[in-house]
Amino acid sequence: MKFLLLAVDQNTPFNYFPVALQLAIAIGFVIVMMAATHLLGPKRKTHDKLANFESGIPSVGNARQPMAIKYFLVAILFVLFDVEVIFFYPYAVNFRELGKDGFYAVLLFVGFFFCGFFYIIKKKALEWED
Amino acid sequence: MKAIIATTILGIIMMFAGIMAKEKKPLTTLATILLVILLGVNIWDLTNTSSLAPESLFNNMLRIDRYALWFNTLMTGCTLLYVLLVGREIQKVGEHVAEYFALIFFILCGVYLLSCYNNLLILFIGIEIMSIPQYILAGSDKRNLKSSEASLKYFLMGAFTTGILLMGITLLYGATGSFNIVSFSFLQSDHLNTLALAGILFIMMAFSFKVSAAPMHMWTPDVYDGSPTAFTAYMATIVKAAAFFAFLRLFQVSFGSLSSHWTFVLAIITAATLLVGNLTAVFQQSVKRMLAYSSIAQAGFMLFAILAVNAVAWQGIIIYAVAYSIATIGIFTVLMKLKDYTYDGFNGLAKKEPLLAFVSTIFLFSLAGIPLTAGFMAKYYVLQALIQQGSLLWLVIFGLLMASISVYYYFRVIIAMYFKQGAAELNSPVSGTDKFMLVFTCFLVILLGIFPQLLLGNI
Repeated sequence: MKFLLLAVDQNTPFNYFPVALQLAIAIGFVIVMMAATHLLGPKRKTHDKLANFESGIPSVGNARQPMAIKYFLVAILFVLFDVEVIFFYPYAVNFRELGKDGFYAVLLFVGFFFCGFFYIIKKKALEWED
Repeated sequence: MKAIIATTILGIIMMFAGIMAKEKKPLTTLATILLVILLGVNIWDLTNTSSLAPESLFNNMLRIDRYALWFNTLMTGCTLLYVLLVGREIQKVGEHVAEYFALIFFILCGVYLLSCYNNLLILFIGIEIMSIPQYILAGSDKRNLKSSEASLKYFLMGAFTTGILLMGITLLYGATGSFNIVSFSFLQSDHLNTLALAGILFIMMAFSFKVSAAPMHMWTPDVYDGSPTAFTAYMATIVKAAAFFAFLRLFQVSFGSLSSHWTFVLAIITAATLLVGNLTAVFQQSVKRMLAYSSIAQAGFMLFAILAVNAVAWQGIIIYAVAYSIATIGIFTVLMKLKDYTYDGFNGLAKKEPLLAFVSTIFLFSLAGIPLTAGFMAKYYVLQALIQQGSLLWLVIFGLLMASISVYYYFRVIIAMYFKQGAAELNSPVSGTDKFMLVFTCFLVILLGIFPQLLLGNI
């Protein structure tokens, strides 16, 4: 294992040898596992087994149907608010260290965010009835 | 600095104006007024910054120098000109006029970040802020299948290239341990760093995509052709110029000392861009598509400035950006007035609308690089930059050859207007304001062709 320690010290492409090693092991593991299940596992294919499972309800038609754009709109808006929370977590952890400047920065961020929220409400993006 | 904040706030104001306004026309007026304010803020920034001491902001993330501020001012001026010329066409694109203008303000924010970044992360953010509004604008004609195709294609390709850009930034960070573009450690050390070189190559590919250089140009004709013409005019001009400015900044400031390693690759890209752009433009039937290919060809000339790595290159890119933007916005404005975008649609325009035909002739002269127009001086400066660099004379000669090919397809429009019989049908009547603005733009093209120093005096 001495060569691995050596790799840490020197600033050469050899530095990245552990990364390559881990990549190889990760890919190798997946290949071995998939091959093993295919080769070793028994296969009994019946009609019922191959049918799509939809919570016990008999499947009806194709799933790829056009659906109302409103679902996408809500999904996108959810992502937006989700991102806001992502910023709040690190801020909550570093609340004391960041002090006043940090507070103003977050206030500005929330202010801009509020503008966006106001905009979607005014644009009636959250209204479901036409 | 003030301009970056101002453009964001003005964009938000524009967004909310859309909720209040009942009609479309006041929105265009409002956008014009806000752009004038933004131009004022830019000039205020410019007068407050001395040419000797560039200002560093946000822990050295932004480095604001006179070149960047002057470029921002010029690009804001071009945007104002664009809105004055094309404002009425923007109203016709769809329902959400205020949002279109707001997105243009946000694009300008990206442009400002790209002109003064000092950190690769800001470069990344700038490119994203500039690109994402464009994906929306490309698809703003929602009922049109071509427009949707353009938007989706642009988004997918753009997102993929962003990945390549990030990969390049990562490799550079791995090699040097820094995001700061002036403090890369390989600038000092003599030994070759393979990771850094790979990173430079990745970043070069990503930038080549953004400026639509061959072989990464495939998206350009489809996106430019599919998008509403009003927005094609913006994408092909100011956005492209800003991408070039960022390209030049990085490759001159950080990678300039390593130019012997990347010059040859970029020279081949440049030659391919000139060849593909010009030769394919010859075979187009639609003038809009021809202009898309011509924008690829013009990108080839702007790449000269990046290859040159000297002081003239900065002047060249500024003059080229403005000259190309003004002429292209002008010719797109004329194109939007016509019903039929093919060459035949231009037949006999000179008889019906002599002024329209005359101004488009001047714009096409400028794009082709005929003396006494801005396009000539632009080509002159970038060629001079490359000649001073010295080792790429074959590319200079090749560029001149390609410029002469470009004359063919630009003049085909002029021939159609003046010497062919036909009744060019107009989409909308040409109003007095339109005529005034077109003549003013035409005047600018000629003025810059005679006094190109006007664009350089302020640096």
